Amino acid sequence: MSTTTLRTRPPLTPALTAATALLATLAVAAALLALGGYSPGDAFAALFRGAFGSWDRFVSFTLVRATPLLLTGLAVAFAFRARVWNIGAEGQLHAGALAGVAVAVALPGTPGLILIPATLLAAAAAGALWASVPAAMKTGMGVGEVITTLLMNFVALFMAQFLVQGPLRESRGVFNQTDEIPAAAHLPDLIPGTRLHLGFLIGVLIAVALWLYLTRTPGGFRLRAVGASPRAAEVSGRFRAKPVVWLAFLTSGAIAGLAGGVQIAGITHRMYENLSPGWGYTAIAVALLARLNPLALVVTAIVFGALSAGGGAMQRDAGVPEVWVRGIEALVILAVLTVDRSWQALADRGSRG
Amino acid sequence: MSTRNGPCERRGGSESSGLAARLRDVTKRFGPVTALEGVSFDLVPGEIHGLLGENGAGKTTLARVLGGLLTPDEGRVEIGGCEVALRSARDARALGVAMVHQHFSLVPRFSGLENIALFNGGAWTKRGMAAPGYRERVEARARELKLEVELDLPVEGLGVGARQRIEILKALMSETSVLLLDEPTAVLAPREVDGLFAVLKEVARAGTGIVLVAHKLDEVLAAADRVTVLRRGGWVLTREAASVSAGELAEAMVGGAVGGHLARGAAGGQRPTVDRGRTAMDERRAATPAADQLVGTADPAPVASLRGVTTIRDGEPALRHVNAAVKRGEILGIAGVDGNGQRELARVLARIRTPDEGDATLPAEVGWIPQDRAEEGLVNGFTISENVAFALHGKDSCRKGPWLDWAGIEETAAELVREMDVRATSSTATAANLSGGNQQKVVTGREFLRSADLLVAESPTRGLDVKATVAVRSRIAALARHGDHPPGVVLISADLDEILELSDRIAVMVRGRLIPVPRDAHNPRDIGELMLGARVRPDENADGHAGETRNTVRGPEGSTPGARSAGGGPP
Repeated sequence: MSTTTLRTRPPLTPALTAATALLATLAVAAALLALGGYSPGDAFAALFRGAFGSWDRFVSFTLVRATPLLLTGLAVAFAFRARVWNIGAEGQLHAGALAGVAVAVALPGTPGLILIPATLLAAAAAGALWASVPAAMKTGMGVGEVITTLLMNFVALFMAQFLVQGPLRESRGVFNQTDEIPAAAHLPDLIPGTRLHLGFLIGVLIAVALWLYLTRTPGGFRLRAVGASPRAAEVSGRFRAKPVVWLAFLTSGAIAGLAGGVQIAGITHRMYENLSPGWGYTAIAVALLARLNPLALVVTAIVFGALSAGGGAMQRDAGVPEVWVRGIEALVILAVLTVDRSWQALADRGSRG
Repeated sequence: MSTRNGPCERRGGSESSGLAARLRDVTKRFGPVTALEGVSFDLVPGEIHGLLGENGAGKTTLARVLGGLLTPDEGRVEIGGCEVALRSARDARALGVAMVHQHFSLVPRFSGLENIALFNGGAWTKRGMAAPGYRERVEARARELKLEVELDLPVEGLGVGARQRIEILKALMSETSVLLLDEPTAVLAPREVDGLFAVLKEVARAGTGIVLVAHKLDEVLAAADRVTVLRRGGWVLTREAASVSAGELAEAMVGGAVGGHLARGAAGGQRPTVDRGRTAMDERRAATPAADQLVGTADPAPVASLRGVTTIRDGEPALRHVNAAVKRGEILGIAGVDGNGQRELARVLARIRTPDEGDATLPAEVGWIPQDRAEEGLVNGFTISENVAFALHGKDSCRKGPWLDWAGIEETAAELVREMDVRATSSTATAANLSGGNQQKVVTGREFLRSADLLVAESPTRGLDVKATVAVRSRIAALARHGDHPPGVVLISADLDEILELSDRIAVMVRGRLIPVPRDAHNPRDIGELMLGARVRPDENADGHAGETRNTVRGPEGSTPGARSAGGGPP
């Protein structure tokens, strides 16, 4: 046997599956649009123009909308890598946004250098705290986290409603929203003249950090092993699953909470009902399309950001209602799963000769 | 079910053998593994036919061929004197063959009556309930078979024995000429076993031929009229239960003939390491005669020792007052039928299970070749390097600051691949793409990399082909015999040839107890009897005429004086 690099995997396969899935999605969407009496060509052209038509469209719309998807997507991917099925990014995001606003509003006159980190840390801590409840139920009592994290989303949503209608309601008392956070807490623009804020960079940095952690550190190896096979991790690695599960829950919750903090500090500057159009759920599609790889997730988040940014243009220019975009998002998940399975089936057949 | 009548009617009574079922020269392969090879088997109406064999001997495969769940690659299946081609369990069912699986197939929320009705077509109405009047038929049948069943409560609330009776009644509701039971006693308490056997005798009296798959010798001898033993997929013997001794069966199940053939077949210059090991071992043997007396108390400074270790699993003791010690350069062989506490023992030794009672003195790191290499020894989706990293990730030499030194790990893995002669399909192979033998070589090599003072090897060659078996065994022997700091090795195996070939000292694990085997009883027959729970006194062993009759079979809770003295703890 000659010298070998044993660890490297065929690098193209995940990218190929993702690309195939996207193409399949577009094909199915085109067929459905045609059936609905729309012109698929016009619709896709409008969608593309809306997302990538100009530098400003790309930066101020696509990338800005990709930011919360990137962060929640990373939260989901990291948990999934450890076989922790955190469906609760939506709730953790709300908890983070609430905590961020509360801290920022409570500290007027603090310089941004302190206030911004304080706001974001509060958001991350609240997200982690929100995730710690299902974590404790799973590790302590064996309660499945799919249900608990999902239900915690509703608790967070209703808690947010309650707080913006009551204790945290703006001092004017007009709308169901909080006061605006002090200007010092606003995230600086990443590219002057656009709406893109520091949050996107934070997301990219976290993606790189998670990737390095998972692929290059002993802790990341332990997490991947527990995620791939808890029994083998225990027997071969002598790893205990519990600390890994806790780590996955808390990190995932913190990143999702941070997504909420980044959104209020970077864009909305206040908290209100229905802050998120379901980023925490779309994040699952973003993460799956990236095959749970944090670096690939930067790309898939931008793809979904583009869908969101282009949806409005599609409605305006091609007369296709924006809800079609949600349909396309859903098609992506189906396509990823289908392509994945068919690919595996093909590979199996091939290897069996 | 087109297969049912065609051949049967044509052949009709002309070739009626009077047998309930018969297999002729049946061979069944799974990929490279031959599970059954040219096995013939007769089942007479009204008999209970015990099917004995170690794990992997082929007994479940045989039952599944009869039950229509597997189609043989070669050979013929006859039911009721007619050759048939069974394509499914439904085909077999239509011919009067019923199977009770090891894991029950009952709907937990349904009552016993509902489960029975659901299974027997026509008795289950479209409105989702048992047909009117069906209950009376079930009750009548239960009375006939003297089966006590609870029909009205959801089965999920019933005990295992009660569920098993429902399963049996379910199978016997329609005309049944052949009843197959796969390890029916595995899930039962001893008291329930007696109840089951009483039921089976009643069923047999009505003319049904019963195949009882088991690996516990005493149970089969208590219930069966005839016994067939399989070993490594081949037929060994079929005898009247009354005319065969426990010792004969023990030897048939685990004996040396096939294994000896295996070792010889692979000899061709491949075993020098092992042979050298033998010599070294013999020298050591002469030097430490005291080691024979008790499991590992002779050495003043063992690398690992257990004192009175007891563990509780699911409310039952899994290990009972186990005393053991192993020193450097020594292989302690622990023989035993699967499921007598070996897994628990390995877990204690590997430090992932703490004893509930007693003391375990163990080195900080332990090498462990686990029994289930596919599910526990490897992460299938990981590459060879990543799987090798399990042994390395904690070592400073494989880190650069906070990072894992993957380049170094890959180098080590590539070296391991060369040294262990792992045949990888490609350099980027994931563990899942390796054959069983190559997987085991990776696991073995990796556990060696830990350079631990103790190595636990659990059935290290199960399911491997001859070449891989020789390779893995010789590596283990070489590890223990050579080097400046050889580890102590605990070899846990149900394969007696392996135990006898490699071990310096031998103990047998029976029902959670560890029984030392005196040097003069180091032969398949004596050890086999101990493994299978036959009552053997050490002094009888020494004279070489132990366990000749069924009277020597030990009762369920019995334990030999030898066991107590070896266990060391209070009874």
